[in-house]
Amino acid sequence: MSEILLEMKNITKRFPGTVALRDVNIDLREGEILAIVGENGAGKSTLMKILSGAYPHTSYEGEIFIHEVRQRFDSPKVSERAGIEMIYQEINPHLDLTIGENIFLGQLPTRGRWLVDWDEVFDRTEEALKKVGLDESPREIVRNLSASKQQLVAIAKALARNPRIIVLDEPTAALTEKETENLLQLLLELKKKGISCIYISHRLQEVYKIADRVTVLREGETVSNYVGKEIVNDVIVEDMIGRKLEQMFPKGKVAIGGELFRVEHFTVPHPYTYNKNIVNDVSFCVNKGEILGLGGLVGAGRSELVNAIFGIIEHNKEAKIFVEGNEAIISNPVEAIKAGIGLLTEERKKNGYIGTMDISQNISLASLEKISKYSLINFEKEQDFARFYSDKLDIRAGRLSDKLSSLSGGNQQKVVLAKWLMTNLKVLILDEPTRGIDIGAKVKIYDLMGELVQQGAGIIMISSELPELLAMCDRVIVLADGHITGEFLRDKVSYADIMKAATCA
Amino acid sequence: MGDYKKKVLIVLQMPEVGVLIPLVVLSIVIGIINSAFYSFENLINVLRSTSFIFITAIGMTIVLVSAGLDLSVGSVMALGSYVTALALTNDIPMPLCIVIGIATGMLIGIINGLVVVRLNIPPFIATLGMFYMAKGMVLIASKGIPIYPLPDSFNVIGQGSFFNIPYIVIIALFLGVLADFILKKTTFGRNVYAIGGNAETARLSGISVDKLKLSFYVIVGGLAAFTGLLLASRMGSAQPSIGQQFELKVIAAVIIGGTSLFGGKGTIMGTFLGALFMTVLTNGMSLMRVSPYWQQLIIGAIIILAVAMDQYKRRKK
Repeated sequence: MSEILLEMKNITKRFPGTVALRDVNIDLREGEILAIVGENGAGKSTLMKILSGAYPHTSYEGEIFIHEVRQRFDSPKVSERAGIEMIYQEINPHLDLTIGENIFLGQLPTRGRWLVDWDEVFDRTEEALKKVGLDESPREIVRNLSASKQQLVAIAKALARNPRIIVLDEPTAALTEKETENLLQLLLELKKKGISCIYISHRLQEVYKIADRVTVLREGETVSNYVGKEIVNDVIVEDMIGRKLEQMFPKGKVAIGGELFRVEHFTVPHPYTYNKNIVNDVSFCVNKGEILGLGGLVGAGRSELVNAIFGIIEHNKEAKIFVEGNEAIISNPVEAIKAGIGLLTEERKKNGYIGTMDISQNISLASLEKISKYSLINFEKEQDFARFYSDKLDIRAGRLSDKLSSLSGGNQQKVVLAKWLMTNLKVLILDEPTRGIDIGAKVKIYDLMGELVQQGAGIIMISSELPELLAMCDRVIVLADGHITGEFLRDKVSYADIMKAATCA
Repeated sequence: MGDYKKKVLIVLQMPEVGVLIPLVVLSIVIGIINSAFYSFENLINVLRSTSFIFITAIGMTIVLVSAGLDLSVGSVMALGSYVTALALTNDIPMPLCIVIGIATGMLIGIINGLVVVRLNIPPFIATLGMFYMAKGMVLIASKGIPIYPLPDSFNVIGQGSFFNIPYIVIIALFLGVLADFILKKTTFGRNVYAIGGNAETARLSGISVDKLKLSFYVIVGGLAAFTGLLLASRMGSAQPSIGQQFELKVIAAVIIGGTSLFGGKGTIMGTFLGALFMTVLTNGMSLMRVSPYWQQLIIGAIIILAVAMDQYKRRKK
């Protein structure tokens, strides 16, 4: 086995009121890919912030060694100098600068003292881009690149600094399957060149493909460490959540009743291109107690379809929506909510919650009429509702008056869900409800979906995670290029069926 | 005792306290240099001047909390006072004249709101345009000539008092308490914060964002016109120059009071303290015989200092 490159020893990090990390030990060998997995809130990000120097060495207990030399990182610059490069989940490139400028930002090579040596910038950028297999001009403006290419630029930027260790935190969150594959290949190649890598991801399948070793964190502690053949999915997931796997998709059998919700001939025009439709003449129905899955590839029109149903974007005039047999005219979210529809959107941060407001205010956001009389808010009633839902959904936060921006992604998602549960909900539309949240929160959301349908509601779920879609949905319809290309019942469908329908545009 | 301590702690943790400390320090310093600051007469003066800023600042708080902005309020003050004066000199009953004046401001608010909501023009641009247009309307109509004298029945609003407390202060206090109540306890108030925090989320949660935004501009427009006519009543004359630079004083008061320019945060109490701070500063400098040539420079520096202290305190939390 190769030499130990990096060691983090007995790291304990306290925040006021909580211990984020307790006596955590991590080591990384030369040319090794180490995956760190764990639920959100397990302490992965905190640990990486310590490694990157974002938390200075005086703010925690424990020591960091590189080649057995004690390191004292008190800022990201110092850690960078020691050869550690971080690539974060949310890449924040300067969108209106060129690729070259982005890569050399902060250390532009100069000619003399004041003049930027642009030739060198772009030459070296070209080299860096070659390393990550990105075929773009170094002079391209970053805004024009897709999210995945921007991610590659971020990696190129890290590599341009010749690091010994690169740390990737959820790097594939914005990538398509193929792009992910490319990224993983790239990491394996870098490994051959002797660059060690710490890889953090919720997507365990990726982890299994590349990791030499997996360390599991749970609630701020290192729980286990697996090497090579010991890396087995079920064992790792159970370590992460601290319980048995059968409880992962806890959907019981629910009797499916009569028709609850139906849409007919839905067409959504393309917002920019004239005479082109994103969704084309789609009709479907959802029954009482049923979970209907919407499968398909990114860009198939699934989100557009549900957004149009909810009245956020425009649809054709001929389209009809029926709730419990009565036609509902919906041209904006107000009318959709009145008709008993709730929509948990794909982008939680952009339009799911309000970061400046607290938990109880976010929960009551869509049902103020339930806690007010003559438009006066009854704060006790609001607290009661908030307490009820936060218990029910196991929202883990200090107080109900905590601002949403201070919660973890999983807890934020639970709050958004609670907001919809509090409305007079008949049909709940979930657009990628478990994206980017930890397994514990996922299970809680699955639990709740089961409970909802038991009470006679209907659910429409969009998900790009096939295991989730197949395990949770009674019926799946697949969209490709705006058309329905398949409809499958649970128990009679395989991954292959869905993929085939999704790609048969 | 423990209960008392807790209460003190709660007060100290209120966001408004950010201004309170500089305000107290400033008042002490001014008082030491010139004890006339604490004379009843001067304190009433300070409160009266504060009220003029505060009344419009109430509306501005709502607009800023909802992540909007209104630069046109100064010009709307002039327009409101001018229209009221015009009505007064045309034998229209006084209360109706006031309604007409306020309605003019609200009409400007509707235009501002429609331009922001329907044409999707950023509030900065929309209201900057209106700042010039409203001013222009006054100048076209008045040709720069003030309207006076105004009837005594009208002037008494700005000049009269009740047990030595000027009516204006009472009006401002009433409006302030009302607005505080509305922002804190009603669904309307809740929606102001929701829209300012994240308008897209608010819309998808069934809040009629556009209608509400429009109403915020109507409120601030009405309050600005009202302030304008109060100023005219105080001076007994409708000057086309009324409200000059008031928009900046008002925005400064709101920001000093802890309202975020990015929306979602802010209180009426904070705005009141901000307005008081601005007034004490100006008043104090006159009392301390600071050269008028220096006053603007000092005001600017202290505004930045006050907000910087506030930011620092927040960051430490």
